[in-house]
Amino acid sequence: MTTDAATSLATGSRGSLATRPRSPRRRRLWGTSLVVGIIAISVNVPWLNAVLVSFKTEGDIGRGALSTHLAPTVDHYMNALGASGYDFPRFFLNSTLIALGAVVLVLVIGVPGTYAAVRLGFGGRLIMNASSGLRLLPAIFFAVPYFLLMSNMHLIDTVPGLIIANTFLNLPLGIILLSAGFRDIPIEVEEAAWVDGASTYRTLFSVVVPMLAPSLVAVAVLVFIFTWNDYLFALILSSSNATPITLGAANFVTSTGIRWGDISAATVLSTFPPVLFAIFAQRFLVSGLSSGAVKG
Amino acid sequence: MSVQNKAGANRAKWVLGAPLILFTVVFVAVPVFQGVQTSFYALTLQDPSAPFAGLQNYRDLFSSPGFLNAARFTVGFALAVTTIETILGFGLAMVVNRTFPGKKIFFTLLLMPIMVAPALLGVMFRLLLNGDIGLVPALLDKIGLQISLFAPDSVVPLLVVLDIMQWTPFTFLIIYAGLQSFPTDVLEAAQIDGAGRLRTVASVILPIMKPIIFAAVFLRLIDAIRTFDVIYVLTAGGPGTKTTTLSIFIYKTAFESGGFGLAAAASTVIMLLLLPLVPFLVKRIARQEGDLA
Repeated sequence: MTTDAATSLATGSRGSLATRPRSPRRRRLWGTSLVVGIIAISVNVPWLNAVLVSFKTEGDIGRGALSTHLAPTVDHYMNALGASGYDFPRFFLNSTLIALGAVVLVLVIGVPGTYAAVRLGFGGRLIMNASSGLRLLPAIFFAVPYFLLMSNMHLIDTVPGLIIANTFLNLPLGIILLSAGFRDIPIEVEEAAWVDGASTYRTLFSVVVPMLAPSLVAVAVLVFIFTWNDYLFALILSSSNATPITLGAANFVTSTGIRWGDISAATVLSTFPPVLFAIFAQRFLVSGLSSGAVKG
Repeated sequence: MSVQNKAGANRAKWVLGAPLILFTVVFVAVPVFQGVQTSFYALTLQDPSAPFAGLQNYRDLFSSPGFLNAARFTVGFALAVTTIETILGFGLAMVVNRTFPGKKIFFTLLLMPIMVAPALLGVMFRLLLNGDIGLVPALLDKIGLQISLFAPDSVVPLLVVLDIMQWTPFTFLIIYAGLQSFPTDVLEAAQIDGAGRLRTVASVILPIMKPIIFAAVFLRLIDAIRTFDVIYVLTAGGPGTKTTTLSIFIYKTAFESGGFGLAAAASTVIMLLLLPLVPFLVKRIARQEGDLA
């Protein structure tokens, strides 16, 4: 069900309200393209502007935004990726490790736990209700407790500490999406495996999990993006060693605020993973987001 | 299912559920408990010995102008952006919900603002709005408008506009997804009856779409209430405390002033205010599993 809705979204217009295009309507269709196109580009102006600035020389940047003098350069990208005095490569590495770690942990905890809840009556409705409830609470509520907890566990400013924090933030979303995925798998499939004498574990891992692939991908993609984009917990739980790119880039602006070319390049680079997902994994994103699972 | 299998399944559910239980106890239950507990202690970053303070933190909180201002700003901001974004998102969904050239690429472009990290978007907004090199001030200057965007009078409308740019795509997406499951026969019937376009929207589409629009409003509202990243990166809650949201207030109270007890009390109050909404969300998700997504 999840994937059906998503597929129809990604491919466009199945069941659309407008009737099929007829020639007198041609012009209106192009009008629609124009209106939607303008809106679609407008909402991306901050990003497009950053891309533009990232290819300008320092001199051209200083000449002001409306200067038409253009001498494209990739210097800022070289700086962002390797110049001494910048920690961007480490920020990227940290973001990647934290995001991948959170994806793995959410799946390792979420898949068996959700299966037990959905199919084996583990925890009854409680697990679903608690997941939905946690989705509602602002992350800031956990700022102080998590700072204290991570301090006690000596996990402040470590990658594992941020992996745990982001697993906590995203586990409810994972459970909500996975439970929908499990419910979409016909129970007969599992019953057949039971009859053949497969144990519960075997049924889960060799029969059910392969059928769950679309949900697993959706969860992985969303958890990766949300973890990559996390700022609040990075701000609270990291100071230097485990700093991810969001915090690194924001700190850079507040501390110097002059090297706009380099900061633009670093920012543009760090929007790439989510943007690539938006393009190549769109149907998973759409189904995941519209299941009411987005977080702010 | 054989008896033996049933017993096996019974044990399996605990084995499979064990990681979830463990994680929930250590990293959910303990922090929640610690959060509420901290709100009754005079815990500060400087003084971790923390004498019991009873309800003092709560008394301080409700007599603190900072908290009340933050609450007022947060609620006003959240209501404003949610209202505007829902209306715009609905309009956009109605426009996009047909076949037209370039639909796929524009749809992807429309999703992009949701994917970009809000903190990074904050950085990009700073670049866009920078007085010396930013595009927006340069354009305003060109048409003869000398506005200081971050001045007390203009900063709130500015933040509202930026939020609309970032999150209208979200309300659009939810409503658009809902339109995909819209029963086309109802619509065709309305058209055969000769109902006009506006009338179709008002008396056919809106009533059927009500639950989905409601969901968009609800989801956007709870996210707007917790707004932190963009505003913190852009204004850090200033000038003064003018744009301090509740999240920024709690963050600053805890990690800049070191008032952990006070911050925990503020968090607990917010949680108590939001808790009655939980059953609503639970019901919504349960229903959605059945139809929409």
